[in-house]
Amino acid sequence: MKTLGDFAHVLRTRVLTFVTRRSIRLTSEGVRFLLFTIGIGIAAINTGNNLFYLLLALMLSLVVVSGLLSEQCVRKLTFHRHVPDLIMANDPAMVSLSVTNRNRWFHGYSLRLFDVGGGQDLDRGLFIPYLEARRSVLLSYPLLATKRGRITLEHLRAETLFPFGLFLKRALYPAETTVLVGPPIKPLSLRFVEDLLSQGQGHPLPRRGHGTQLYNLRLYRPGDDSRSIHWMTTARTAQLIVRETEIEDQRRVTVVLSLLAPDHLDDLFERTVTFTASLLWQLSQRQYPLRLIVGADDSGMGVGSDHLLHMMKALAICRRRSPNGKDSRASRARWGDLGHHESGYIVALCPWSNGGPQEHPFVADRLLEGTQLEELTRAF
Amino acid sequence: MPFDRAFRLSSLLLAASAFGGLVLAQAVPSWLAALTATILSLSVLAAMEISFFAEFPARITVPARLWNVLLIGAFLFFLVDLAAISGDLLPAGIHFLTLLLSLKLLTLHQRVDYRHLFAISLMAILASAALTTEIWYVPIFLLYLLTTVWTLLLYHLCDVDLGASPPARSSSRQLAHEDQPRKIRANFFWLTNGIAVLAFGLTVAIFFLLPRIGAGMWQKTRGDALRTTGFSERVDLGTIGAIKQDPQLVMRVELPESQQSRRDRLYLRGVAYDRYDGRSWNTGSPRRRNQGSTEDGIFSIIPLGSRLSGTVSAPIMQDILLEPLDTAVLFSVPVAVTVTGEFPGVQTDNMGAIFLPFVSSARTRYSVTSREPLLLPAEQTAQRMDYPRGIQDRYLQLPELSSQVADLSHAVTRDAATPYERIMAVHQHLLQSYRYSLDVETASSAHPIEDFLFTRKTGYCEHYATAMVLMLRTIGIPARLVTGFLATEWNEFGGYFTVRQRDAHAWVEVFFPRSGWITFDPTPATGAGALRSRWEALSRFSESLRLHWDRVFIRYSVRDQFAMVHGVRETGDAARDRVRRWLTKMSVSVASVLQTLAGNVRGITLGYLHLFMGLAVLGTALVVLLVRDRIGLWMATCLPSSRKHPAIAQLYQRMLKVLEGQGVRKPPSATPREFVHEVERCWQAAGPLVSDITACYCRGRFGGKRLSSEELTRVTEQITRLRRLTRTGR
Repeated sequence: MKTLGDFAHVLRTRVLTFVTRRSIRLTSEGVRFLLFTIGIGIAAINTGNNLFYLLLALMLSLVVVSGLLSEQCVRKLTFHRHVPDLIMANDPAMVSLSVTNRNRWFHGYSLRLFDVGGGQDLDRGLFIPYLEARRSVLLSYPLLATKRGRITLEHLRAETLFPFGLFLKRALYPAETTVLVGPPIKPLSLRFVEDLLSQGQGHPLPRRGHGTQLYNLRLYRPGDDSRSIHWMTTARTAQLIVRETEIEDQRRVTVVLSLLAPDHLDDLFERTVTFTASLLWQLSQRQYPLRLIVGADDSGMGVGSDHLLHMMKALAICRRRSPNGKDSRASRARWGDLGHHESGYIVALCPWSNGGPQEHPFVADRLLEGTQLEELTRAF
Repeated sequence: MPFDRAFRLSSLLLAASAFGGLVLAQAVPSWLAALTATILSLSVLAAMEISFFAEFPARITVPARLWNVLLIGAFLFFLVDLAAISGDLLPAGIHFLTLLLSLKLLTLHQRVDYRHLFAISLMAILASAALTTEIWYVPIFLLYLLTTVWTLLLYHLCDVDLGASPPARSSSRQLAHEDQPRKIRANFFWLTNGIAVLAFGLTVAIFFLLPRIGAGMWQKTRGDALRTTGFSERVDLGTIGAIKQDPQLVMRVELPESQQSRRDRLYLRGVAYDRYDGRSWNTGSPRRRNQGSTEDGIFSIIPLGSRLSGTVSAPIMQDILLEPLDTAVLFSVPVAVTVTGEFPGVQTDNMGAIFLPFVSSARTRYSVTSREPLLLPAEQTAQRMDYPRGIQDRYLQLPELSSQVADLSHAVTRDAATPYERIMAVHQHLLQSYRYSLDVETASSAHPIEDFLFTRKTGYCEHYATAMVLMLRTIGIPARLVTGFLATEWNEFGGYFTVRQRDAHAWVEVFFPRSGWITFDPTPATGAGALRSRWEALSRFSESLRLHWDRVFIRYSVRDQFAMVHGVRETGDAARDRVRRWLTKMSVSVASVLQTLAGNVRGITLGYLHLFMGLAVLGTALVVLLVRDRIGLWMATCLPSSRKHPAIAQLYQRMLKVLEGQGVRKPPSATPREFVHEVERCWQAAGPLVSDITACYCRGRFGGKRLSSEELTRVTEQITRLRRLTRTGR
């Protein structure tokens, strides 16, 4: 249910959109042109010379033509912005923008396009010199986010100086797009990662896969490799039984990120998030089954790029919580569900702790706290 | 042509059009005009990249300091020009402007130079507008408008590096169409010219709508008045002859459509003279009387000695555009009754001449209503006439003449029984017995009329008219000499007379006690203008254009604006009345038809009514049936669908129906993609359309996303195209 504040925000946005939907500004050339026009107008009024009036009419008609044609240039445009599901902070990502001129007759000329986010025009260097009527053009530009989180691009602004460069006609089009920005991926100390991996060797999880050790016996299903039939059991049971093997590498890691941090540790918290993302990326490159627990959000154990993307999204939107806040307790809730059998090697990252036993209701195999994190993320 | 070259060329043409205006206004001395024209021509050739001249501007590598010195020199020249040579701000300013133009043409390197060139061109076209009202300004203005549109457009679009384009801007821009060369192509060419046409239309509209407010704080009249002779208080005999070869335009006299039957000749009366001293005519009394005007600015002219009651012609309306003359006389068909014009007052003398209170230095437009006195039949046959004493004293005056003149008069009128016959006898005698010639020197003659009548027997209008006046006076008939213009050059394109200096004329007014002053012209026709070539027709056409230009643009005033508003209001009223009448007529017709129908219904049975209603319902159903597809498509795409299936599903069903109509039926077991293959196999032409629609259908139905309105519109269009296809080889 929307609150009154939301309603006021929506109303304000609508009003602002309506007010700023079209605007026109004089360029420096336009100012000079208008000054000349005023001068000729004064001369015409003073002398009553009709040829002066004719020249004045010419100047005014050029002003009117400017208004008419620039309006035609920026109207009936359709924009479709295509952004990646997730982009990483400080890593340029390509955004493509499809611009369609729905005018039946009028072509568009000299169109400059701006992303509008947070009430500000963001110049992406987008310029369309010529856009035919009923045609589209695909533009692309790099989008560089400096902070993780959500970036909302509310509108697109089209502006043109066409035809004479006297006026800058601007039009605002709604094209709301939300971009999820993950934390940047930083190189980690190789020694730290190797150390972490060597410690995690003792936490295998039997999983089906290519290997030599027996994992399971089960009934044959169409499509199974006939070479994997376990003939002895088949003979004993008079049913076709196949042999499943266990994967050789069975290490798995659970990364737990504590969201609790006071205000003055905000920078460390952000670096910890970056560290977490970098660690997950490193482990994912080594095909580790991974699980991420961020506050109350649990990704579950998984492998592959989709799973990594899911975890990165969780890291993109996680927010620091004050230890004294009302939701600090909720962020600890799922930690109690951790069990070594499922979670494998548990790495806990706590940018802040008060040292009390209740802070970590689970046993982490590796706990990285404030000082260690400070040391590890100093280079970030 | 690349944008940058087109921009340079259009800029130079813009400057050339403005400079052409100054040259045509004769505001630039020939040496300066030649210098500027040479530089301009070289610049244009360089802009066109003609090999030899291509490097012309680049070769001008004079240090900036020298240019500054040249500019200061030009300004000093302007001061000297203002103080000593021209002595006037406007010509001195124009000379300075032309020098600046020349200097700027030599230093066109950066965008700011082009901006300066545009400003100088604008000042130049403004200056030429101040100097002229001639029609040559029209092509100059049109060229200026066209080149302005081209130049401003290219100035904006041209990203050629002229030395000052900001690097940040060019680097920040990403060209979406890198492969599109920045050249003038057909669509751009027509677009620009279309913009110019639009600008021209708007210019004309705004010109007529701009309120005309004349403050006139620093207004300065300019222009040399046309020197003419024969309309002062004293006129020496032979002065008109001096201008009889001059083709300069004096006035244009427009007649209403109903009075254009008088297009053969029109006497435009100027000044009348009563006293002749043997060598010159003069008006007896120089006193003039101010005429009062009505609230509408109409001046009533009541000439003394004229009798207008009962013996006058129908009103003759004339709209006269008088060039600036060195006389204050207003010309009109005799006898003027009213004069209307934008002047503060009108004066008349006691012989019916009309004057402005001052000599106008600008063109004067005025309208006159005249009524020509007609000679009463009774006075044509009257044996004798009793002239009032005042008339006799004034209009029977004779200088010291040879008795031969009186003898000749009596001899000529010997057989005439009545005064009118005597007048006609003298008239005929002069018409038939003398030869018209402008090659007559009378300045040195002591007795020019005697020389004309008895020695040379050749002369022109002044001699004829003076001789007639004197001969009539010798036999006791009051007469006077009138000078003015005899308009014979009818312009059939504009419906007006063109009057030139050479049309200056003198004729005679003879007094009849009851009819008043009647015009007689004893000068024989010269035969000029009998043959009219095509060239003359063209000349008359251009002359009529000039008049229209003058009337519509140069003379356009607040009064015309009121007239226009009034005309629009009247047109609106007329249209409203017409619509009202038509509606009334239609309602009457409909009422009568309904009445008839009602009578029939009452008269026969209710069956007809049922039949009528049934036909109406049937017709409506038929229409709905015919356009059901369109209605369905509209409902599917435009109305918010409340059904389970989205709009694309309905459109897909519609496509299947269309295909069914062509014999291609979708089997229930076939998936959409399989059906596409089936269609492509059995109806190749429809394959791409069906494939595209199916792709949209799959995306919209199973993709979990609503299709955009553009996509739905496209699908609708494709279904329409599919319906238009006809399957062959079924």
